[in-house]
Amino acid sequence: MAELTVENLHLTYGTNPILKGVSMVLNRGEVVSLLGPSGSGKTTLLRAVGGLESPHKGSIRIGEKVVFDGERGLEVPAEARNLGLVFQSYALWPHKTVADNVAFGLKLRKVSTGDIGTRVQKALDELSLGHLAQRFPHQLSGGQQQRVAIARALVYNPPVILMDEPLSNLDAKLREEARAWLRELIVEMQLSALVVTHDQAESMAMSDRILLLNNGVIEQQGTPQQMYDTPETLFTADFMGSNNRLPGKVAQVQDGHALLEGAGWKLWGRSRASTRNGGDGTGMIRLERMRVATGPGDNRIEPELTTSMFLGDKWEHIFHLGETTLRAHTAAALAKGRHWLEIPRDSFWVF
Amino acid sequence: MAATPVEAIEPAGRRLPAFATWRALTILVTAMAVLGPLSLILYQSLLTAPFFDPSKQLGLGAYEFIFRDADFWKALRNSLLISTGMTLIAVPLGALLAFVMERTDLPGKRWFEPFILVPSFVSPMVLSFGFVVAAGPVGFYTVWVQELFGIEQAPWGLYSIAAMAVIAGLTHVPNVYVYASAALKNLGSDVEEAARVAGASPLRVALEVSLPLIMPSLLFSAVLVFFLGIELFGLPLVLGDPEGILVMATYLYKLTNKLGVPSYHLMAAVAVCIVAITFPLVLMQRHLLQGARKYATIKGKAGRMKELPLGAWAWPAAALLATFVFVTVIVPISGIALRAFVTNWGFGVNLSEALTLESFRFVFHEPTHIRAILNTILVGVVGGALTVAWYTAIGFAGHRRNDGWSRFIDYLVLVPRAVPGLLAGLAFLWVFLFFPPLTPLRTTIFSVWLAYSVVWLAYGMRLISSSLMQVSPELEEAGRSVGASRGVISLQITLPLIRTGLMASWLLVFMIFEREYSTAVYLLAPGTEVIGAQLVSLWQGGAIDIVAALSLINIVLVGVGLAIALRFGVKLRD
Repeated sequence: MAELTVENLHLTYGTNPILKGVSMVLNRGEVVSLLGPSGSGKTTLLRAVGGLESPHKGSIRIGEKVVFDGERGLEVPAEARNLGLVFQSYALWPHKTVADNVAFGLKLRKVSTGDIGTRVQKALDELSLGHLAQRFPHQLSGGQQQRVAIARALVYNPPVILMDEPLSNLDAKLREEARAWLRELIVEMQLSALVVTHDQAESMAMSDRILLLNNGVIEQQGTPQQMYDTPETLFTADFMGSNNRLPGKVAQVQDGHALLEGAGWKLWGRSRASTRNGGDGTGMIRLERMRVATGPGDNRIEPELTTSMFLGDKWEHIFHLGETTLRAHTAAALAKGRHWLEIPRDSFWVF
Repeated sequence: MAATPVEAIEPAGRRLPAFATWRALTILVTAMAVLGPLSLILYQSLLTAPFFDPSKQLGLGAYEFIFRDADFWKALRNSLLISTGMTLIAVPLGALLAFVMERTDLPGKRWFEPFILVPSFVSPMVLSFGFVVAAGPVGFYTVWVQELFGIEQAPWGLYSIAAMAVIAGLTHVPNVYVYASAALKNLGSDVEEAARVAGASPLRVALEVSLPLIMPSLLFSAVLVFFLGIELFGLPLVLGDPEGILVMATYLYKLTNKLGVPSYHLMAAVAVCIVAITFPLVLMQRHLLQGARKYATIKGKAGRMKELPLGAWAWPAAALLATFVFVTVIVPISGIALRAFVTNWGFGVNLSEALTLESFRFVFHEPTHIRAILNTILVGVVGGALTVAWYTAIGFAGHRRNDGWSRFIDYLVLVPRAVPGLLAGLAFLWVFLFFPPLTPLRTTIFSVWLAYSVVWLAYGMRLISSSLMQVSPELEEAGRSVGASRGVISLQITLPLIRTGLMASWLLVFMIFEREYSTAVYLLAPGTEVIGAQLVSLWQGGAIDIVAALSLINIVLVGVGLAIALRFGVKLRD
């Protein structure tokens, strides 16, 4: 069942269009990420759902209730939408204690004082914050503040919880732990959540479905696996992982495969909808699919290795093939000079 | 790559001592200018006669005299009453206006803002005078209302403590407004949005989130308004006089004539009493300011926020704004503008027949008045530039240094804030009389400029340091890392970066100097006339026509500054 439905949403700041017709559905118990570069409109979409931005066209439904309808001029104010929102900055009220921050939503819902006490304590305990109830926000660490913000959004059981870059204010190490913790929490509590993020790894780890936004429209949507393994556009392919790009000319297209030609090399790859025979093409392959080979063979090239970097769990090498720079990982160190690299044809997309 | 290492180029010898010398000199001069006059007041208050009197002795006689004077206690009581009343009016009204302007979608509200701020740029002397000629017993509006409704007496009176508290309260709304609206601006909109999403109505958000968070700023401005109330001079001089209502500053002013001989020791004792009230308030303010910053540490990103739709409330909100602007700005200023072109006004006078340029003709035939106008412009334009240069030097002396001297500057700058202009002018008069080498300067405009610069030190330093704080420390640190000394960084990196801020400060200081009046009252002498002091003296002499004409000229001067500021988008507040 759809908890949240957005249809053909348009939003403009002055004369600058931010959302240009976005449609999406969030089902019960599902986590959907809004992914995209900065300026793609992902935060604006989330804020429009929350009632903090005014779209001018389209509609938004929460469950069965219409909260925005451009045609009818209907716009339900933020406080009447009954959503939970976790802000990027956490937006904890600095003049209220942790317990009061969490209790505020319940107080507004006229829950009895005794009930508020138990529910707040339960929410805080679930997030291992029980002992911090009487502290003020500025006395907490970043990670603790984040959990208070989540507790505050969850405590009144909203049907949908919105999260705006929930992890971006944490430092790198804590972020990975928080990511795992948050995914577990969402699954355990069977939340329906819409999460904004600009980090593709975070979106894949946290969500059941990803909506990739580009310039105010949805570029592609699907499960993390679909997005990563079968990108439909160059933008999606590029955004979803670390890649090598090989510009060239498309020499041949047949049976879902295409032959890309460059100066002194020819490579077969999977063709995409946009691949045009005889036109310019861009080949793309994920870094981790590159293989160092011992000699010449099918779909192989021979670039020159110029720099190697040790990353701890692996080596990263930088190769030059004419004007093009390529990167590849290996487990062991490699000597400088020419090496053969295999580009597996099923992992190589020609756009 | 086989690159040959390049030999490092050492920075040329650092000229740090030069900067240190300048810093020491700036601090020394400022300390003398601030503390010299104050010490003189304190010293004088402990003498039994004026300091030039050979029979003077150390003693507490002056204090004994004023504490036995019933008028002193009445004045103190009136001051406290008016201060309390105006605080109770200005704080809620200023906060409400700030909320309407910062948070709601009231149409045309940007257009209103300069008008809300006008009372803080027009001399209180001029405004009070405006209220008298517009709404006094035979004011324009009084006469019109009486004729329109056919009533004998207007339903208001100006010459009471309550009326003074109301007018002072209204004219000090801008002081609260600037702090409240800055606090609302700085308040991350996300904490308010979070409350909306949690289910709170706009009113609830305003009362439970916004208000508690701007409370420190409101308290700060309440203290400010209260001590400005203790310092009131022009308003009670104009409105209190007819009924003989004295406040602290007017009591001090009247003391000059009380004994028939210069009673400097008594005036000094009153001055010390005033400072004894205001200085703790200034320290309290400083303490509150730190409280106001407490909440700023956890601040969300100040994103654009959807304005609160007022709906049907737009009308009451617009009515409130319009009433405030009408009563506080339009009434007194239109009163003066009319009065300046009328020499003969009362019941039954036809306004269109009474219009004349007589007053201006008189003003421009009298060398003293011409000198007053020229001096006022001179002290604002040239003096303002010099003042900004001085303040900037002080700013650099304390900029990003955390040593004892910087803390000393912090407190030094606060001191003049506690000293009302009237007292500062008196103190400078004594300095010029006390130190023979300075005496020749006493009859030059320099004396007025120096007093103005010291009186407005705290205000000006806020302008300068807010400019300085906008320069990211990395830009200066980058300068040091490539080998520039502090002096070079100040002159070649920081100074060019704050250029626009300094121009804006110059403009604001110009307006403040055009507006100032009380500081020059005691310094008034042939050669040092400025419009503000001239107005006080002419008002005492009852030359209403001239007062009206000079007031209008004064408003025009401030208006020119205001127009330039608006044209170049100078922020009228920090």
